[in-house]
Formats: sequence, structure tokens, C-alpha cells
Amino acid sequence: MSAEHAYAHDSHAGGHVSPVSLYITIFLALMVLTGVTVAAAFVNLGQFNFLVAMIIACFKASLVIWYFMHVKYQSRLTKLTVATGLFFLAVLLGLMLVDYGSKGFTPMPPPTDSESVIGAH
Amino acid sequence: MSDAVAHADHHAAAHAHHPAQQHHFDTMPQQKEAAVLGMWVFLLTEILFFGGLFVAYMIYRVWYFDAFAEASRRLSLFWGGLNTAVLIGSSLTMAMAVRGAQTNKRKATVNWLILTMILGTVFLGVKVIEYQDKFANYEVPGPSFNWLAHEQHQAAAGEHAAAPAEGEHRKLSLSPEQLQRTTQIYFSLYFTMTGLHALHMIIGIGLMSVITWMAWKGRFDGEYYTPVEMSGLYWHFVDIVWIFLFPLLYLVERHQ
Repeated sequence: MSAEHAYAHDSHAGGHVSPVSLYITIFLALMVLTGVTVAAAFVNLGQFNFLVAMIIACFKASLVIWYFMHVKYQSRLTKLTVATGLFFLAVLLGLMLVDYGSKGFTPMPPPTDSESVIGAH
Repeated sequence: MSDAVAHADHHAAAHAHHPAQQHHFDTMPQQKEAAVLGMWVFLLTEILFFGGLFVAYMIYRVWYFDAFAEASRRLSLFWGGLNTAVLIGSSLTMAMAVRGAQTNKRKATVNWLILTMILGTVFLGVKVIEYQDKFANYEVPGPSFNWLAHEQHQAAAGEHAAAPAEGEHRKLSLSPEQLQRTTQIYFSLYFTMTGLHALHMIIGIGLMSVITWMAWKGRFDGEYYTPVEMSGLYWHFVDIVWIFLFPLLYLVERHQ
């Protein structure tokens, strides 16, 4: 059964329609940033290699969330919900780092053949 | 207008309702917002689901960084990069599918959805090639895992025919025996994270095949396209997971 248009049509009821050019722009930005991530990985930045890769990835994810997932055009309640999820992810990662960081979070001494890989800490 | 009258009789209301509007919602935008909110709450559980794996990855990466760096170089940057491009492309086609539904373009919606499924299948196909390579090189954690098989194979093929010290510019902090043990942790995480991601892709393609059929039957229009948008949210989420998996797994330390 097909949806009949026997009701008063409200052009705003369906939500925001983004222009195609915006989607193309976001797509190109994501592709370029992927290239930047790969290129940056081949430059020795010491500890900052990881940081650069993660900052770019977070920026790419933000573009997808904001434009492809239409969060930009959603209600404040939805925006708050999304932020809540990211907040709890930060809590998960952050508190784990704090916990391990307080216990000498450094590379493990390589295990010898006689000891188990896990449980040496 | 006869439909509207029939509908109005049902509700004893003066104004007509969209056929897809459920009786417990006042308006279509309200119904849509409830769906969007619910989908995001589901995606939050997914974020934390994958989050646990990212935490495990983070801890083991710090502990066994050298092993992670060595094992990461065993992944093909070509296939990983290609798959990243394919998945980002599929996010674009998915966004276009939602746009097609929003603008009442039934055929465009169906075509964009089919293209998205094709790209998703290409991604999974590449993943099969990568997994096959790992099995062939004894790089799957377990009793048959053999870190040295890869180099022995290369030596046999004459690629590292020179003295091993010549070929190895990096100074390894771990002995082959230590690598044999610790790189299995990396590959365990690799298979768990990419496997769970691939499972989400398979579910996503399954969802989309149903949505495509519904779109083909003309179930959606500019006011009601919630299932298309929800599948889109799910698909973009899977894309975001890969945006993080790619640098974490393929690019641990490539500059040496």
C-alpha cells in the first residue's frame, strides 16, 4: 500500500534537507584527511604520531556525526544525548588511564619464555 | 481527499494524518524525533560496546608497544586504505539515499541504497582477502601462530636473500620468541575489533536490503522516511568505528 498524500503537506515536517554539494564537500574532506593520516604516520613525530592520528580521526568522526548523521539539525535533546555518549566514552577511557597511570603505566618488560605474558604485572 | 475523510473518521479529528503516523504521537516531527532519540540511545550503547575494546587496545598498546608496531606492519596499507575510502564512499551514498527519501525520489533512494550495499560488500570482500592472507601466513592467534613464518616465506621467495641484519634497519627490542608471544595479543585485538566491525557491516547490509525493498514498494515519502534515516545513522556509526580502527590497527608506527 502506497503512502497517499491526502493530508496537508508541510515542507518542514520531513526535517532539514542538506544540499548535495555539502555532502560532496564532507566526503572529499574525509578522503583528504585519510590521506593526511597516512602521510603523517610516515613522519617521525615521536609520541605525537598517535596524538595527530587521533585528532584527525576525532575531526573526521565529528564531520560524519554533524553532517552525515544530521545532528546539526536535531533538537537540543538529541544533541545532549549524543554528547552524553561521548562523555561516558571519555569517562571509560580517561578513568582507565588514570587507574593504570597511577600504577606505573609503562611498557611491560618483555616476557621471558618461563613466565606468562599475562599476569606479570 | 476521500482517504483523508476516512482517516479523519477513524480519529474523529478534523485534520488528516499521515498514514505512517502512529496514534500515540501528535505530529510527524514529534514521531520522528522520538525515533532519532531512541536510535541515538542505542548507538550510545554501541559506542560503549566498542569502547571496551578500545580500552583493551589502549592498555596493551602501552604495555607491548614494540610488538604492536611490528605486528601492525604486517597489515597491508593498500587494502586498509582502500577499505577506508570504500567505507567513506558508502557513507556518502547512504547520506544521498536519505536525501533521496527526503526529497520524494523513490528510484534515487533505491539506487543509492543498492550502491551503499555494493560498497559495503566490497569492504567485506577486501576484509576476506586480508583475513585469508593472515591465515596463509600463520598470523592468526592460536596454536598455529608463527611469527617467523612470514619472514621465512619472504626469505624463501628471495626478497630478504641478503643477511637478515642487512634487511632489518629497525633495531628490534624483542627477540623472536618474545615477538611470537606478544604479537598474538595484537592479532587477537585485530581480529576481535575488525571482526565485530565486520559483523556490524553484515547486519547493516541486512537492514538495508529490507529498507531498499520498502523504498521500492513506495513506503516512504518526504515526511516519513524514518527507517531510511535510522539505517543511515547505523551505517555512519559503523563508518566512524572504522575511522578509528584504521589508524589504530594499520598505522601504529610506520615511520621506521
